[in-house]
Amino acid sequence: MVAALEEERLTETFAALANPTRRAILARLAHGEASVTELAEPFDMSLPAVSKHIRVLERAGLVTQGQRAQYRPCTLNAAPLEAVSSWAEHYRPVWEDRFDRMGGYLNHIQTQPHSNLDI
Amino acid sequence: MTDSVVIERHFDAPVELVWKMWTESEHFAAWYGPMGATIPVAKMNVRVGGSRHICMAMETPNGPMQMWFVGEFLEIVANERLVYTEAMSDEDGNVISPAQMGMPEGHPETTQVIVELEPVDGKTKMTMTHIGVPADSPGASGWGMAFDKLNAYLSTASR
Repeated sequence: MVAALEEERLTETFAALANPTRRAILARLAHGEASVTELAEPFDMSLPAVSKHIRVLERAGLVTQGQRAQYRPCTLNAAPLEAVSSWAEHYRPVWEDRFDRMGGYLNHIQTQPHSNLDI
Repeated sequence: MTDSVVIERHFDAPVELVWKMWTESEHFAAWYGPMGATIPVAKMNVRVGGSRHICMAMETPNGPMQMWFVGEFLEIVANERLVYTEAMSDEDGNVISPAQMGMPEGHPETTQVIVELEPVDGKTKMTMTHIGVPADSPGASGWGMAFDKLNAYLSTASR
């Protein structure tokens, strides 16, 4: 179960990182917090479009947006990136999860009367 | 820095069958995909130097997503030992570097999977080792040098 959740989280991180605009936003935030307007400046994009990218980054846990009403600065949260960078530790639960399924599948095909296994 | 994962498992199945789990597309696709993912493509040319090309498809909050992987079989000893490489790629099998995927430095471009099977009373003990191919390995520096040369050539050519 933990593996599945981690898998889901990593999928979100990858999906969030798969877009060049969002990577540029993260690169900008690596230099310090910024408002949505400031983040939108370098892009030829509407504020709502940039906000949409920020929401994707927020869902992936990569960006936190402040709650102050007028000025809600975005800040970078690098923790999910660390999970990606320590690739081996990420893969362990993925493999454990796969081998659980392999075990289940092996039991299944060995008890199937019609399975056509020429071993 | 070689990061690795080693996992040992016992399966209530003969080694011949566990071997098929890794070498036959239909069986491989049945267990390999993470929860919620499917393996619509698993091409495996199981011979030394043969290629593998795997597609993993999943639904994400942003819609359907596909990830492709390519690799090469390095060692094949039927029912005993299988070694293959793996790298992220596109649909046509061109390798995509981790940096292009927006991943931080330190994620190896190519990883290696080593599967060892051992029969134990008609059942199977399987050891899987997944290692990063270090950037300073002979193979990697060969590619690095090739790219350096190409860059130098391109910068001269564009003058």
